[in-house]
This record gives sequence, structure tokens and C-alpha cells, in this order.
Amino acid sequence: MRSMMMKHTQSEQYQKLTQELRRGILVLAALSQLEDEKYGYSLISSLADKGLDIEQGTLYPLLRRLEDQGLLKSEWNTEGSRPRRYYQISSEGSQVLEDLTKEWRNLTDVMERLLAGSSS
Amino acid sequence: MNLLDRYIHEVGRFLPRKKRGSIQAELRSSVVDTLEDRFGPDPDQTQVEEILLEFGKPRDVAASYHPRGQYLVGPGLYPLFQMVAWIVVAAVLGAQLLAFGVGVFIAGEPFSALETLVALVSSVPASLGWVVITFMILQYFDAKPYLDEEPWDPKALPERNPEEDLKKGELTFGLVFGILFLALVTLAPEWIGFITTPGGEFYPNPVILDYLVLIQVSLLATIMMNIYLLWKGGWSFVTRMIKLGLDAFSVVILAFLIQGHNAWLAAKGSPSFSAWISAIESNNWELVGMHAFRIAFVVAFVVTVIEIVATIFRMVRSKMAGDVSAKDFVLKVE
Repeated sequence: MRSMMMKHTQSEQYQKLTQELRRGILVLAALSQLEDEKYGYSLISSLADKGLDIEQGTLYPLLRRLEDQGLLKSEWNTEGSRPRRYYQISSEGSQVLEDLTKEWRNLTDVMERLLAGSSS
Repeated sequence: MNLLDRYIHEVGRFLPRKKRGSIQAELRSSVVDTLEDRFGPDPDQTQVEEILLEFGKPRDVAASYHPRGQYLVGPGLYPLFQMVAWIVVAAVLGAQLLAFGVGVFIAGEPFSALETLVALVSSVPASLGWVVITFMILQYFDAKPYLDEEPWDPKALPERNPEEDLKKGELTFGLVFGILFLALVTLAPEWIGFITTPGGEFYPNPVILDYLVLIQVSLLATIMMNIYLLWKGGWSFVTRMIKLGLDAFSVVILAFLIQGHNAWLAAKGSPSFSAWISAIESNNWELVGMHAFRIAFVVAFVVTVIEIVATIFRMVRSKMAGDVSAKDFVLKVE
């Protein structure tokens, strides 16, 4: 019974840690896919096709925040079967994407070295 | 109204008015996109339910759109809130205890432990309530505490105050004195009184005998506290809180003693300060002794109240300087 509870707690803890780890990369992931304008669901599909599943409840508020920060711009398009809000990276967002990408590559290099060291 | 409309409406109830329409429109568009992609253009009720369950509870969905989270007092304001709250509690308790002391001793008002306790208990939540309301308003307007904007300089860290450290000599003296006094009040309570220098006559103090049990409990608790402090070698948040409790208990006992002396002196027709002088002039040493005891208890009362306020002040200062050990605050930090 106790070991079952511990396993349950460990799995919850693992889930939380994974969520925290993923949360940090979502901005970079979203910005990287918005060179061309996309509406919310098409962005989710695009990310999922490339292997990154993201919940709708996480993505939409994130897009709003990025727009408030000036990294994205958006507009409603009423031409299709129903009105949709399309998002696209702004010029400020492009600069941030470039910087974040550099930072990400540095981080992955460092982490590779750290993890290689810890596994040896 | 179909299920989707009801869902969108329910989410809207928890959204800020300014952005409600736009978020609701986008949410509707997203749910319909998902439904269409997953089940085609004409989903049935069960399929709509499945997708809505995936999107989540309306309240949770709405909460995710609050950029700074939903806080009564947010993390940015909390340290300032905590400091102000402690100061307010210390000031309210200190002022009330002093007011009771003045009321009982100077105005000769009757002392009621229950009334005092009720007044203390009710004043703290009321004053804290005002602090919370003030900070709720600051939070609503997203006020930034000035403290956070100050550039931080390690050289400006406060010097370590030796007063904060445990004074072992003082504690040991207090411990020895406490044990001796406890032994006296337990083994020979009839010896508590005063001897007149001219004549060498002994007068017992009847009021102290009335509150003997309370005095013993207070002394015993203080002795145990001092032993624990000497053993641990320093103060912590918990020990300071216990010290506050013991001091408050002492204040109540002192108030009882002062009130008892008031009643005794009044019964002897010598209630006021000025009556002390006439007691000396008429060589009534029993009255003089009881007046002296009363003065001593009033001084002890005021000193203990000041000590309570000082302890709270030290706790606030230690917290602000990050001087309290991490384990004492780990629950709050999490």
C-alpha cells in the first residue's frame, strides 16, 4: 500500500517536473511556428505534427500574453467558414525569436555536456 | 441554448469585462475547429461533451487568461504585506494592553480576564482585515512595492546585532532566579510579604497568595523555555512565538495582581497614589508595603508589554533582513 502511494506521488511529481520543463519552451515553440499567420487550432496541429503536444487551455492564453507583450500581432479573419483569429510574429517578436533560439542552442549544448557527464 | 453556447457563456462569467467578448469568440472558434477536425461538421451531443471536457472547467479556462494570476495579495506584495501585518498586530496588542493597564491601575477600573481576552481577540482580526483590504486594493491596481525597486547592495546588509544573539548570562541568571522564586512560592508561600526596617515586623501579601497557581504555572513555563533556549543556543521563529505567548500570560497575571492590590487598598481606604504618602506619614507599614507591591507590579506590567512589542519588532526585523533560519519559513516560501 505504502509503495503504491509512493509510486503515485512520484508519478505526480514527475508530471509536475515535466510540465515545468515544457512550460519554458512553449514561447519559443509558438514563436517559431508563426512566421506565417495561423489561427489557434492550426498552430496546435502544426506543433503536434512536429511532435509537440500542447493543450488548448495552455496555448490560447499564451498567444494572448505574447500579443500583449508585442511579440505577436493578430487579426480576425471572417472570410472562411467561420471567423477566426489569426496570429503572426511581429518584428519585435522576430528579434526575440532570434535571441531565444541562440539561447536555446547554448542551453542544449550545456545540458548535453552536463548530462553526458552525469551518465558517465 | 445548446451545450457550446452554455459553456462559452459560463467561461465569460469569470472573465474580465474588457476582454470577455474577444476571448469568448476565439474560444468558440477553437472549440468548433476541434470538433470539426475530430468529428466532422455535425458532431452529436456526446462528442461536444467530450471536447468540452478536454478544454476544461469554465472557471479554470477563464483563470488561465488572467496574466498575473488571481491573488488577493500576490507574491510581489506579500513580503510588504507580511511586514505591515506584523507591525499592525504588535501596535494593536501593545496599545490595548497598555490601555488596560492604565485603565486598571490609574482609573481603578475592574479587571475582567474574559473581557480583556475578547477585546484582544476581536481587535486583531479587525485590524488585520483593514490591512488585507488595503493590500487587495493595491493588488487590484497592480501596485509595485517601492522595496522591490530599490537597487540591492550587499554592502547595505544590516550589521549582525549582538542583541539578536542569545544572551547566555542573562538567561542563566533568569533561570536561577526563576527556580529560586518558584521554590519560594511553592514551598513557603507564606513568606511572601515584606518586613519593616523599623521594628522588623513581617507582613504577608494576601493578594499574591490568591494568584499563586497562575504565578507557579507562569514561572514553570518560563523556566522550561529558558532551559530549551540554552540547550538550542539561539532564537527561532517558534521560540519567539512561545516567548510572546508567555509574556502575554504574564501580562494577564500582572493585571490580576494589580487589580487585587487595588481592591485590597480600596478596602483599607487607601486606594490612590497620594494615600501612599499619608500611609508613610502615619507609619502604617502594611499599607506602605502593599502600595510598594502595587507599584512594582505596574512597572513589571509596563516592562512586559514593552518586551512583547520589542519581540514582535525583532521578529519583523529578522524577517526583513532574512536573518531567520530557512527552516522556520520554509512553509511560507513554498
